[in-house]
This record gives sequence, C-alpha cells and structure tokens, in this order.
Amino acid sequence: MKLTNNWRGWLLWLISGLWIVQIIWLAWYYAPDIKEMAWRVASRRTGPAIRQEDPFYRWALTLAVVIPPRDTYIFLDNYEAGKEIEARYHLTPRKHVLLPPAAPPSFLFHALRQEKASYLVIREGDKAWSSSDAVAESAAFLLLPVPGQGLVFKVDFERLSGLFYD
Amino acid sequence: MIETALALLRFLLGLGGVCLLGYACFALLVPNPRDFRPLESLCLSFGSGAVLLTLWMLLLSWWGLPLGLILSLAPPLAVAFLALAVKRVVGKVPAGSEKPTPMPPPSPPTPFRTWDWVFIGLLAALLLFAYFRAVIYPMWAWDTIATWGCKAKLFYQSRGMDLTCIEAHNYYPNLVPLLLSYLYFCLGEVNDHLAQGLFPLWGALLLGMLYSFLRRMGLNRTQGLGVTAFFALNGTVFISHLFIAYADLPLAYFALAAVGLLYLWLMDAAPRGALALAAAFFAGLAWCKYEGPPLAGTILLAAFLTLVWLRPPDWKTRVLKLGIPVLGLAAGFLPWRLFAAFRHLEMGADHVRNLYPHQLLESVSYLLRALIDPFFFGFLWPAAALALVFSGRGLWRSPRLFPALFLGGNLLAVLVAYAVAPTSAAEFDMYVRATIDRLLLHITPVAALLVGEGVKGFKVEQQIETT
Repeated sequence: MKLTNNWRGWLLWLISGLWIVQIIWLAWYYAPDIKEMAWRVASRRTGPAIRQEDPFYRWALTLAVVIPPRDTYIFLDNYEAGKEIEARYHLTPRKHVLLPPAAPPSFLFHALRQEKASYLVIREGDKAWSSSDAVAESAAFLLLPVPGQGLVFKVDFERLSGLFYD
Repeated sequence: MIETALALLRFLLGLGGVCLLGYACFALLVPNPRDFRPLESLCLSFGSGAVLLTLWMLLLSWWGLPLGLILSLAPPLAVAFLALAVKRVVGKVPAGSEKPTPMPPPSPPTPFRTWDWVFIGLLAALLLFAYFRAVIYPMWAWDTIATWGCKAKLFYQSRGMDLTCIEAHNYYPNLVPLLLSYLYFCLGEVNDHLAQGLFPLWGALLLGMLYSFLRRMGLNRTQGLGVTAFFALNGTVFISHLFIAYADLPLAYFALAAVGLLYLWLMDAAPRGALALAAAFFAGLAWCKYEGPPLAGTILLAAFLTLVWLRPPDWKTRVLKLGIPVLGLAAGFLPWRLFAAFRHLEMGADHVRNLYPHQLLESVSYLLRALIDPFFFGFLWPAAALALVFSGRGLWRSPRLFPALFLGGNLLAVLVAYAVAPTSAAEFDMYVRATIDRLLLHITPVAALLVGEGVKGFKVEQQIETT
C-alpha cells in the first residue's frame, strides 16, 4: 500500500472516530428534549396544551376576544423581546402595527389616526413608556379591564388630531 | 385519541395529494419514469408537487377565487393526469435531448450488511425523534411565528393571500406558507403542531434524495447510507431544522435536487429528462425563499463554467440546454413578482445598500468558524474539504469541478452578502450569528455529495491497489 493511501486511510478512520464522538455528543445534547417529550406524551400535555402553559398566550386569547378580527391595533413593545411576533401570530387576522415603547405621544397619536387603529396594546404597561401621561390625559383612550401581561386601551382614533408635530 | 388519528390521516392524505400531483408532473417531464428508483421518484415527486400546487394557489388568489381544499388540489390534479393520459395514449416521448441512459442490468438483490442496518437505524432514530419533536410542540421558533407560520394561518383564515395585515416580510416568496395553509385546509383547522410534521418528512425526502444521488454517482448501498447518515448526524443545524418549521430546509432540498440532477447530467449519469425535472426544482428555489434566485444563479454559473472549462465534445449544445433550468427559474420567480407588482406590494431590498469592507473581513472569521465548529455541521465541511484536496488535479479534469465551483461561489456570496448588509457595528455580530448557519444549510447537502465522491475515490484506489 502506498504511503499516501495509508495516510488517507488514517484520515478516514480519524474522521469516522470523530463522527462517532459527535453522535454520542448529539445524543447527550438532545437527551433533555427526549426526556421532556416522554414526560409530555405520558402526561398528555402536548400541542395546544403547551401553549396554555404560557401566560402571554392566555393574555393573547383574551385580547382576541376583545379586539374584533377586522380591527387594527397598535402593539407597543421592543421587537427584540420576541413577544410582538407572538401577539401578531395569535391575533391574526387583526391588523398589527408595532411601535417601540419610546414612541413619543405625537408619533403614537399620528400612527393611531393614520392606521385607523381602534386598540392600543402595551405589553408590560406597568413599566415606563413615553406616551403614558399623554394617553392617560386624552379622552380618546379608554382603559379596558383586561387582566394579563399589559394594558389594553380602546381608542377613538377620530378624536385624535393625528398631526405629527402637534 | 380517535380525533388525533383522524387528523393524522387527513394530514397524510393531504401529503399524498401533493405526491400524486408531483408524480404526474414527474411522469410528464421524464420520458420513462421507470428510469428512476421508487425512492428517487417519491423524493422528486413531492418537490414538484409542492411547487405546482402552491403556484396554482397563487393563481387562484390572483383571480380572486377563495382558497380551499377542492379548488386547490382537484383542478391541477385533473389537468396533470389528463396530460399524462394523453401522453400515454399518444405514446409520444418528449424530444429527449439527453442521451438515453441504459439502465444497469438488474442485479440479484444483495442482502443488507450489518453496517447498512446501523446506518438505517441511526437515520430512523433521528427522523423519529425529529417527528415527535415537531408535532408535540406548537410552532414556536422566531421565523415560523413571524413569517412562515403566520402567513399560513392568515392565508387559511382569509381564504386567500391577503397580506394587508402583515407589514414585515410580506414580499417573501410563499411556497412554504401556502403549503402549510393547504395542510390546514386538509385538517380543517389551524393545527400548527401537526402541520409541523411536514418538516421532518421533508428532511427525510432530502436524505432519500441525497442517498439516491450518491448511488447514481457510483457508491454502493453501504457507502451511500454511510454518507447520508454522516450528513444527517453531524452538528445540530440540520437536526434542528427538521422541527423548527423554517423555509431553509425546503430550500436546501430544492438546492440539492437542482445541483444533484445537473451534476449527474454533467457526468452523463443522469436518467433521461433530468434537465426538465431540474427545471421544476429551479422553480422551487425561486418560489421558496428570497435567497433562492441567487442560489439558482450560482448553480447555473457553476454549470456554465464547468462546461466551458472541460469542453466536452458537445459543450456548446449543452450550454444552450442550460436554458431549460433557466425557464424553470423564471416560472418560479415571475408569478410572485408579477402578483406583488399588481397588488402594489413593496419589495424589500434587504441587502443592497453599500459595501462595508470591515464587515467583509469580520465575516471571513465567522464563516470559517461556522464551517469547522462541530456544533454547526460537525465534521462534514472539513471532510468535504479533504475530499476536494484528495481529488488533486483530477478536480480540474472532471465534472466534480461543478459542485466545487458551486460551493466556493456560494461561500464567496455569503461573504459578499455580509459585506453589503446594512447593520450597525453593534448588531453585526448578532446578525451573522442568526443567519450564518441557515445560509450554510442551503448548500451543505451538496458538500455531502463531495464527501461521497471522496469515499468513492478512496474505495476505487484501494480496489486498484489490491488487484
């Protein structure tokens, strides 16, 4: 056998050995998933039951009852939190517009008027958001008694002048 | 329990409808479907069926007709089988421009060896895990919730492609969302955890296709199964994409089919009609994801350069024949672009802004790390690199140049994509981390073809030396 071929043979065995180690590592890496899956199947907590464990999903369900399917809502949250996309998914087909919590009142009111949004949803409404005082003082907003992970306002967008620099 | 079984039955019947439609398309495109093994036919049929079905659903939406199970499936199925019946009655073989490939004489069935069972067992265990991991949990991954699954739910609920309530990414191609919404029509509800079962099945078809291509390249059963298992069970990227319901796995499937069929055609090892069939997968590339058309462009460019470099006797005719996949690419690209233009949907241009040289340099290190870090693709890319190195000068004298050019071109394209990405310095690291594994997944099955070539070359050399 030639030296080069011998060399290749060794490399083939080396890669095969590393692959076996990799398979063992994969089994270890996914073992917690398998354990949880087995537990879920045994306790019949699969599919929709998993969503029910999430308080945000339960809040989204109550929002779906409050907001009619053809209406538009503005969702005030940071995109990076990843909750906004969940809300959009659960509240489809309602039109969803995202604004950051730092949005000033002028821009928020403009967006509400422009999008004809009937609802304003603020995730974690107990934390600071720039327009909280303006919204509290405006007669166009009505805080709805929806328990959950944030605040929900019914908006009479026609009462907002909606000028960007007002 | 009975409800779950019935839902599963409806899901499987829905997938069966896609396969049936795809098989009709497959049988129309190739002169003799028996040139293909049953596994190969199944793997190729599903992709063709998914492309046809979803393009038809796009047309329905364009015409303002409400989407539904009957209207989505019955007309294309009826037309396809009518065309197939006409083809059979007339007995006219499409002008097969490719040389007829004689089928190898039927050999006596070889018994399965221990290693065959080991590899089959590993693959079966992986697919079983991925299937349960997909269907036990509802849709949860970022892009699924934000784009693919959200659109599917919306299309099902609105009985059409109403994109007015989605502002982000509404210009993305819609093969995956429409296929998911078709499954919702089959199930009669938005059952997103059961519909996620589509993805491990799609992954199984990708593996079946990879194995079939490896066999056609000359690997025996054990080698083919070994390389397929080596691809599937190396790193976490492919495995996680089996259950997170992203469009990247289907894109990798279409890319493998397009490259594999073209590679076999360049090697004169393709069954008749391979180019026409490849056209369907080029359509799938364009209709599946935003990255599809550039990916298809690199495949065509690599094939063109290979032909020009190798200059086989009929190279000019062959270059002209590359027009067939180009037609397929147009068939997958134009309908959605026209639809979007007529509906005044704004087309995003995420990556075309400016060139940032420092990002290009940074992305080189990210790319190299992703290629060699076992967490992503295990040892597959180093093995593919070794296979290329051991090709030696033969690389420049054989069609093996084609997958090498395709992979090299795409790695370069990834770097360029990052160099023009309009991200801030603070976001760049996060942006690359969130995307590099997916971009590599699109081309990794082709790297597995190169590993297969390496294994074949090694065995051939050993046989020569022992004789």
